[in-house]
Amino acid sequence: MDKAIVIENLSKKYKNNRGIQDINLEIDRGEIFGFLGPNGAGKTTTMKIMVGLMKADKGDVRINGYSISKDYEQAMKNVGCIIENVTPFPYLTAYENMKLWGRFYDDVDDTRIDKSLEITGIIKYKNEKIKNYSLGMKQRLGIAIAILSNPNVVILDEPFNGLDVEGMVKMRELIIRLSKQYKTTFFISSHLVHDIELTCDKVGILYHGKLLNIDSTQNILKNYSSLENYYLSEVDLNGDA
Amino acid sequence: MEMLKAVYTNEIFKISKKKKITVALIFSALSVIVLAIVVYSLNNFAGIRVTGSSEFSIMVLTILSYSIFPLFTTFICIDMFAGEFADHTIKFTLTGPASRIKVFLGKIFTVATFIIGNLVFVMVLSVVASLFINKNIPNLFKIIISYIMAFMPIFIFSLVVILISNITKGTTSAFMLSIFIFLTFNGLGFAFPQIKSFLFTSTFDWYRLILGNYINFSKIIRIFLILLGYGIMLIAAGYYLFEKKDI
Repeated sequence: MDKAIVIENLSKKYKNNRGIQDINLEIDRGEIFGFLGPNGAGKTTTMKIMVGLMKADKGDVRINGYSISKDYEQAMKNVGCIIENVTPFPYLTAYENMKLWGRFYDDVDDTRIDKSLEITGIIKYKNEKIKNYSLGMKQRLGIAIAILSNPNVVILDEPFNGLDVEGMVKMRELIIRLSKQYKTTFFISSHLVHDIELTCDKVGILYHGKLLNIDSTQNILKNYSSLENYYLSEVDLNGDA
Repeated sequence: MEMLKAVYTNEIFKISKKKKITVALIFSALSVIVLAIVVYSLNNFAGIRVTGSSEFSIMVLTILSYSIFPLFTTFICIDMFAGEFADHTIKFTLTGPASRIKVFLGKIFTVATFIIGNLVFVMVLSVVASLFINKNIPNLFKIIISYIMAFMPIFIFSLVVILISNITKGTTSAFMLSIFIFLTFNGLGFAFPQIKSFLFTSTFDWYRLILGNYINFSKIIRIFLILLGYGIMLIAAGYYLFEKKDI
């Protein structure tokens, strides 16, 4: 199977001794992987290393076969992401922010920008400055930017934060549609078990910086009544190991 | 190259949308106009000949090289580095497909473009103003060479600010430290003249070396090499910190 993301022995320790330890995982192309864990488990740290915002103490990440530490440009060429929170330039409009991102790619034109804004439901606010945007609108813009270049890997850190119910449902549908239609691989982190259960087809549980287990959502729901029960049972069994 | 071009275009677009650019141009224009009025008044009404037409552009350059040019260059550098680190907008650029070296160089080229733009703007304005003061055609060649030479020390100062912006955690501390270093280096130059030639701040008026009848080329080359050394070291140190920074 073609691997879109490979993480090998990834470790990073902060001064306060928190961080991540020896994370290993492989994600197949077209898969929607859910990274589940409580606040401070190390989800954002892992994702920051995955997109080159942080350097790992040990280990490496390969995206589409390219190492993020050795071949950054090739690795990130087909990646869209939201890390931690969406941080567009507040003094620019949504369109101008999208244009900044579009300049990195040959095939992104105004039509594609409009299409991305339309998919995420903020086309009518495209000429408004970001400083006037609500949290939910910024989140939608972040997703619009992440999918702008039609990337084959999308990394989303808490993508449902700030979205209303309608927005969450639309985002879920969008993620599932892109994965089915274009084989786009998604790596999604969340502490919201319900969203992960409804969206992802593979789940990894991160707890205190350690990856406790990885399994398919289908398998999990065969053996447990809900993803929440599985999560609690895994944390109970392996959390203090 | 395409990535570097994209980063540069984005950075130019971003600074063009900031009010600081308009403010910098307004202050530069006002400074030239005020100086022109003062010089014209002294020349014509007080009977004191302050400058000729060529010297007016040089006088403007000397005054602005120690005030408005470094001040607004500091603002721009801090906005582009410490400012983006502080409000996390740097993530927008750093999660793109351009490597950090290209992002760093794109930002540096943008700062250089801003300095050149500001110098050209003031030069044109001061030449026009000098025509009204003396009604003589100024020596354009000397003026152009002086403004070209003035670019280098201001650019070196911008690299110092960029280095500081990569060390400090906020925009205020970056600004205060930059001003402190600017004043300290100038102070050291006055207090210890023997080390003056090694301080980049003492080269802010090095274009004066080409203004006299005798041009000391060996001194020009020596200062140029010192500034080049500063530039290489500051770019290397700034990039090292920028590359290592965890966001």
